[in-house]
Amino acid sequence: MGFLEALSVTKVFGGIAALDHVDLSIKEGEILGLIGPNGAGKTTFFNVLTGLYKPEKGEILFLDQRIHGLQPHEIAALGIARTFQNIRLFPNMTAMENVMVGRHCRTRTEFFSTLLMTRAFKAEEQDIQRAARELLGLVGLLDRGNALAKNLPYGEQRRLEIARALAVEPKLLLLDEPTAGMNPAESRDLMQLVQRIRDRGISILLIEHQMRVVMNLCHRVVVLDYGEKIADAAPAEIQKNPAVIEAYLGKTHA
Amino acid sequence: MRRTAKLASWIVGFLILGILPYFLQSTRVAFLIRLGGIAGLYMLLALGLNLVVGFVGLLDLGFMAFYALGAYTAALLAIQHVPFVVCVLAAIAVSVAARLAVGFPALRLRGDYLAIVTLGFGEVVRLVLNNWESLTNGPKGLPRVDESIPPASLFGFVFTANLHYYYLIVACVALAIWICHRLDHSRVGRAWVAIREDEVAAELMGVEVTRQKLVAFGLSAVFAGLAGAIFVHWESFVTPESFTFWESCLLVCAVVLGGMGSVTGVVLGALCIVAVPEVLRDLLGTSFANARYLLFGISLVLMAIYRPQGLWPSRRRSLELHPVEPDETIQDTLYDAERK
Repeated sequence: MGFLEALSVTKVFGGIAALDHVDLSIKEGEILGLIGPNGAGKTTFFNVLTGLYKPEKGEILFLDQRIHGLQPHEIAALGIARTFQNIRLFPNMTAMENVMVGRHCRTRTEFFSTLLMTRAFKAEEQDIQRAARELLGLVGLLDRGNALAKNLPYGEQRRLEIARALAVEPKLLLLDEPTAGMNPAESRDLMQLVQRIRDRGISILLIEHQMRVVMNLCHRVVVLDYGEKIADAAPAEIQKNPAVIEAYLGKTHA
Repeated sequence: MRRTAKLASWIVGFLILGILPYFLQSTRVAFLIRLGGIAGLYMLLALGLNLVVGFVGLLDLGFMAFYALGAYTAALLAIQHVPFVVCVLAAIAVSVAARLAVGFPALRLRGDYLAIVTLGFGEVVRLVLNNWESLTNGPKGLPRVDESIPPASLFGFVFTANLHYYYLIVACVALAIWICHRLDHSRVGRAWVAIREDEVAAELMGVEVTRQKLVAFGLSAVFAGLAGAIFVHWESFVTPESFTFWESCLLVCAVVLGGMGSVTGVVLGALCIVAVPEVLRDLLGTSFANARYLLFGISLVLMAIYRPQGLWPSRRRSLELHPVEPDETIQDTLYDAERK
């Protein structure tokens, strides 16, 4: 059984292929790096995977189920959660509530049980809070739980986004430049966090620009350039791959 | 200490809202009872609108249409001597059905576009009521000359005095406030606020955005339908005049003035838009009543500059943050939930 298989995925914007027949597979328990120069189509690929964009061509199978064409919330419920390159928290909600929203698709109390305060409602509310506290603890934000998300410093916002995504209980977590704007100490902490998340059995697809992070964390690296996949190999081989060096540095260096 | 303060405020509130009006009945300020009832109807409407505007963050400029549909449904049935409770339920049903019918296609639109559609629907409803003579008697209103709308009655008790309606409305407002508070800190309410804060992020975190919007939309119409049915029994008269675009605007004013998403704030906002013009009319004479829109316009601009969060801004609730035992992992919580 394949974990995630993207076959020949193509996404076109106004005649320009942001993704051009991209094949990509992720194995269970793997940390897969997705790198490439700016505008290579990395975030577009995330948006296609999570259902925000519908691909023109190709198919995406997650646990042998076709997910292209599903609504984003349906894909989330199947077990794919993500963070955003430009942080997209719920700014006027507390850190706790941000994570609690992530539990939405794993819980089911509806309107009437909420009003009647049924036992099931109370129990579920307790479970939601407990899960949220656990996840805030995991990312080291438990003591900031009641702060509004917009009031958290940048690095904490990044970690809160990860906690919120984990609340969805993903099997596959997509991280879009999690270390962007972080200092070396912060990005070292973040690498440890990513490792811990993987140790819980969650596979990770990681967009990253810091090569140190990519080389240390990833089991395998896929390189995109102008929407095409130009390499797919272990990190050490990627460093030596002429096509990759050319994409980043130009022809004379290759 | 906080408990006693809370209890004290409940008692004071009960004395002022519950007991005082009874003794005001035969005094010179008996009109306050009627005013309180009208304010209560606006509170019901504003609380309903707040679910959509304040919680989910959708601008709705035609909310009065659903109040109108509730009022006319109740009026048409009451004329046929249908019992009050049935009128109320029918009014709610018609409002909600219309709301969902508009919402289903319109909720695909965002921001200003949705505002335009709701504004348009509000006007369509008013114009239909104004022109469908055979059903609504047009601008002359209901009931027709040889008909009448009987007063409301509940469990054999007939609502004849303003005070009776006042108590009925206060009870409904209390119920509405209770519902809003419950929702605010629940899975559903959090999903709504998340949609307001970032619709795309909410959808990607697994919130069924369209469905949740429809639920909020439908529930808001329950409040409007209920208010409409009570209104029409109390006044025993209704014309399309009562449901103009300006009234819808005033409701949005109440929500913005009080504090979007804040239940207490919205109740205050509704009180302001009803009470302030009355007080000013007393002080400055009748000619001023027509200038109230000017006044609200100015106050909204001032609010936008100096206090954009509203009179009584919504506050997110703090939760206990004691650490979770290591063995209670997230997986365990899921299985626990399934076992229950």
